[in-house]
Amino acid sequence: MSHFSGEELIELYYSEDGSEAARHMDACTECAGAYEALQADLADLKPVELPGRSEDYGEQVWNSISGQLPAYVGRRRPWFRQPLWIGLTAAATCALLVAAAFYAGRLWEHRNPPPAVVSHAAPPAQQRVVVVVLSDHLDRSERLLVELKHANADDTQLATPLRDEARSLLVANRKCRQEANANGDPALITALDHLSQLLNELANQPGGLNADAIGRLQTQMNQDGLLFEVRVLRSRIPKHQAEANLHLKGGIA
Amino acid sequence: MDRNDHATIQAVLSGDKDAYGALVAHHSRSIFRVAYRITGNEADADEVVQDAFLRGYRKLESFESRSNFGTWIYRIAVRCALDRVSRRGSASGRASAGTETESEAVQVPDRAPNPEALLLSGEIGAFRESAMHSLTPLERAAFTLRHMEDCSMEEIAIALEIAPNAAKQAIYRAVHKLRQRLALLKVRT
Repeated sequence: MSHFSGEELIELYYSEDGSEAARHMDACTECAGAYEALQADLADLKPVELPGRSEDYGEQVWNSISGQLPAYVGRRRPWFRQPLWIGLTAAATCALLVAAAFYAGRLWEHRNPPPAVVSHAAPPAQQRVVVVVLSDHLDRSERLLVELKHANADDTQLATPLRDEARSLLVANRKCRQEANANGDPALITALDHLSQLLNELANQPGGLNADAIGRLQTQMNQDGLLFEVRVLRSRIPKHQAEANLHLKGGIA
Repeated sequence: MDRNDHATIQAVLSGDKDAYGALVAHHSRSIFRVAYRITGNEADADEVVQDAFLRGYRKLESFESRSNFGTWIYRIAVRCALDRVSRRGSASGRASAGTETESEAVQVPDRAPNPEALLLSGEIGAFRESAMHSLTPLERAAFTLRHMEDCSMEEIAIALEIAPNAAKQAIYRAVHKLRQRLALLKVRT
């Protein structure tokens, strides 16, 4: 069994947790005796009573030293540490950073121009005009077809406006047909051809539009599904317009 | 109380010198206690108290608001006391130069009467004090803080500005020396 050294006994005396050492002391009379002797010696060295000091001892101390103490001059911060200046400095720093970032961005953009988009070049202005014209044409055609579909065959007053509108649309339809042909859009070409036939008959009906002619054209329109066809084409137009505006893809179809 | 101390310190630093008097009044007695225990002398202890508060005042700007002023000024007082005991030891050492070994030169000479005289007069306390004088200033301060002030080893190390292990060794040496002195006394009685 190993015994505690002098240092260990002293450490034990001042430590708060001596449970393990206490178990050793129970089994080791030599260490227990040494520890008791240490306790006795250190007990003799407990502090003696302090010399009395009066209640006003603090005041006496203060009176003896106060004459040697210079007053602190109110702790004024240097001008550059005043809150106002700190705030202004922070604001100026932020402004400088923003300006520097802006300038760097401009410089970077100048030195690194965006690559030219060849395949997605903006559609020429003429194409955009054609898209608008087609949209307008299909819109007007749809209205005409709706009027024709719901027209009362006996209503003779309706015949003239229908004929005039059909004549007007024939011109636009011809132009749109040419553009569609140039762009190679078969669906549009087919629809415009069907529309052309109907518009032709509406505009150039021999003897004018009578009840029989209107009824026959209504039947023809329904059989061809022309109104539906025109509506489908119209629904495609906004997409083309958006694409044209985004300069992604031009064209009528 | 700490909050009051901090408010008082702010007042002092703002130019109200007299506010420091409140801090002195509040902490003087505890500072005297540790000063007396380290120096073992009333006059020296009074000097240490004054010196500590003077030093504290001059260093007040470096006092960190999150600290405890009582602890802060206590540590200053411990160092003042240690300085005073060291100076006293050096002066005594110079006076008796050539008559002591090198290891003893840093120790305060035992100026107490011999044990028989002490026993006859029943002044065992004086003998104990003479035993304390046999310690080096560092040993005396470390032992006092541990044995009488119940400071932890870490607190002692901070107050004396030494490593914790050095503080521990100083206490071991102090206890060893004091026990030797006490043993001598017991043999003679």
